[in-house]
Amino acid sequence: MSTDTQTGTGAPAAVPGEIAPRGDWALSWNGVRTVATLELRQRLRSTRWKIALVVWFVVVGGITLLTTGAVGLLSDSPGMDDPRTPLGPLVFGIVVFFVLFLGLLVAPTLSASAINGDRNAGTLATLQVTLLTAAEIVVGKLLAAWAAALAFLVASIPFIAFALVLGGLSVVALLSTLGLLAIMLGVVCAVGLGFSALTTKTSGSAVLTYLVVGGLSIVSVVLFGLTTPLVTVRDEPVRVWAPADTYDGLVEPTGSPQCEWRTEEQWVVHTERTWWLLAVNPFVVVADAAGSPVDDEFMGAADPLSGIRWAVREARSGPADEVDYCFDWYGNPVGDSPVAERVPDSSPVWPWGLGVNLLLGIGGVLVAVRRLRIPHRKLPRGTRVA
Amino acid sequence: MTSAGAPPGDSGDDRSGTVTGHGGIVVTDVHRAFGEVRAVDGVDLVARPGAVTALVGPNGSGKTTLLLVLAGLLVPDTGSVRIAGYDPVTENYAARARTGWMPDTFGTWDSLTSREVLTTVAAAYRLPRELGVQRAAELLELVHLTEYADTPAHVLSRGQKQRLGLARALVHDPDVLLLDEPASGLDPRSRVDLRGLLRRLAAEGKTVLVSSHVLAELDEMADDAVFLSRGRTVASESVESASAARRTWRVRALDPEPLAAWLTAAGVPFTVEEDGAALLSLDGDPSAAALLRDAVGAGVPIASIAPSSGALEQAYLALEEERR
Ligand SMILES: Nc1ncnc2c1ncn2[C@@H]1O[C@H](COP(=O)(O)OP(=O)(O)O)[C@@H](O)[C@H]1O
Ligand SMILES: [Mg+2]
Repeated sequence: MSTDTQTGTGAPAAVPGEIAPRGDWALSWNGVRTVATLELRQRLRSTRWKIALVVWFVVVGGITLLTTGAVGLLSDSPGMDDPRTPLGPLVFGIVVFFVLFLGLLVAPTLSASAINGDRNAGTLATLQVTLLTAAEIVVGKLLAAWAAALAFLVASIPFIAFALVLGGLSVVALLSTLGLLAIMLGVVCAVGLGFSALTTKTSGSAVLTYLVVGGLSIVSVVLFGLTTPLVTVRDEPVRVWAPADTYDGLVEPTGSPQCEWRTEEQWVVHTERTWWLLAVNPFVVVADAAGSPVDDEFMGAADPLSGIRWAVREARSGPADEVDYCFDWYGNPVGDSPVAERVPDSSPVWPWGLGVNLLLGIGGVLVAVRRLRIPHRKLPRGTRVA
Repeated sequence: MTSAGAPPGDSGDDRSGTVTGHGGIVVTDVHRAFGEVRAVDGVDLVARPGAVTALVGPNGSGKTTLLLVLAGLLVPDTGSVRIAGYDPVTENYAARARTGWMPDTFGTWDSLTSREVLTTVAAAYRLPRELGVQRAAELLELVHLTEYADTPAHVLSRGQKQRLGLARALVHDPDVLLLDEPASGLDPRSRVDLRGLLRRLAAEGKTVLVSSHVLAELDEMADDAVFLSRGRTVASESVESASAARRTWRVRALDPEPLAAWLTAAGVPFTVEEDGAALLSLDGDPSAAALLRDAVGAGVPIASIAPSSGALEQAYLALEEERR
């Protein structure tokens, strides 16, 4: 053989020569795809994952059937055949919340061990020493985890679409809901990734991610409730338009009262100071954006999504500046009221919540990238690089 | 490993230019501590291109830590490092591009096949796809894993994984190879293959740094040796000079009596082992040849004469002696 000293390690054309250095934050589609495919291959080949998907399909399907059945029974019962409350939105709301709930449970498991798990298995450093940048490794892992989470969402589409078919819903509502569900799952994946870069143990990062998820979905609502005393002012002067003191129409019906401006001290709950606690909640974000028209009366909102939307927008609007108490004995308003009508702020709340959640997700990604930059200066306690 | 043959259309000699001049590994007074533990505590080391350099030291002497610094994974606390002319701290990316690193304990991506492991790494090194596929096939051939190309990596034995790890370090044809205990878990055949492979890589002009605590296996593989102890370089020498140094030889005769009698008569100090072999100290091969000639001339039935252990091992043990 002519090339006797040849080892078969001959030069690939792409690497030698001048290599343009790329920073830790540089991203290339090639690099991201390499990491994402690697991650997906690792996951997709484990049958556990397929089983989880099947279980998911069955559970969501079961819940959809049960809700439809229960709601159907309810609406068949006498007195409930109100045409204003089609089945669709109710079933849709319940199914969407259930999917979001399950998704928030599943998403952390998809990403919270992506970095520390690899580090413990000794496969992280082998990626880091290649020409992949830290950002490519993180974004690739995020894409893979997100894609896996989306698979669960896709498995629920038949049921969400079924609820749509039941009527009362626009396709826009379906699309915006699916979009927000997808983004929320992505955010949780990103947060999990951040924690998995921060902690040594995979159990640690999973717990921390669940804490964040729990904090956003449950603690936020509880806090909103618990902080009402803090935002309640017991003796706030409120301008009221009320019958003059001379009017004794409260005792007996004696014509129309003369109304005048007065300032009374009242209990006022300023939820406009704490509404954001509700806004960051993923369930609120999804509900607020669901897109079905806000019914002007709370009673008209027969489905959970519209109800939540109404409530959070009310909370944001806070108490009225002026109150109209000018009623006659029969409770009818009197004359032309000078009181400005309270118009609740009906602009959407979900962009705020979405923004906060996206910031959390971006934070997770940034933390992870910072943690994956090499060479390492500090090592997390008790870890070896390899 | 000649069986691997040459990859088609590959000429290898276009590499020679890039390793001359500023190639190799130069480590100057590197320190690295993990909290209280001073894992690397003053290492100086030069590994020449075209040579295999052994990094020798007992467990915990800082070999792995030093290799992590060289691979661009850890920042040294103080001291400077040059890899093929690049500083892995400030020019990490460029240094990485030229370094192949094989960790001592490595996981593989369990669900991937051997071939996929290599194509993935090739993609991670930004090789075009077809080239990556071709590279993977060549390297599998090179480390004799073609048979297992499409089996999941997790069913490979430890030695096979080790070989896969070696292939992985070679994917991008690095100028500098850092191998952390590459021979552990390898069967004798694979060790011989490894030795041949490293020799040929060195002959191509690459810098090869091999860590090990098994000294015997380094003797025939390495050109130079750097001894580490408690994170410090305690000695650097060429294996040739270590072989030439005074060391213990083991002489065995068919009948121990005449050997002992002759040695006593000749005034050579020696100790007798249980099987009757004599251990004596000689300074290099010429002395051994002379001793053998004289003994045979005197009618002593010599059966074998050889160094009692490898050159590096003796040099290493001698160092340990000095430190006591
Ligand atoms: N990440 C780490 N954290 C704390 N101590 C470490 C870490 N890595 C290595 N060490 C310590 O540094 C010393 C050198 O370790 P190492 O470089 O692995 O030695 P070798 O490879 O020569 O056996 C050992 O005492 C080890 O316990
Ligand atoms: Mg080691």
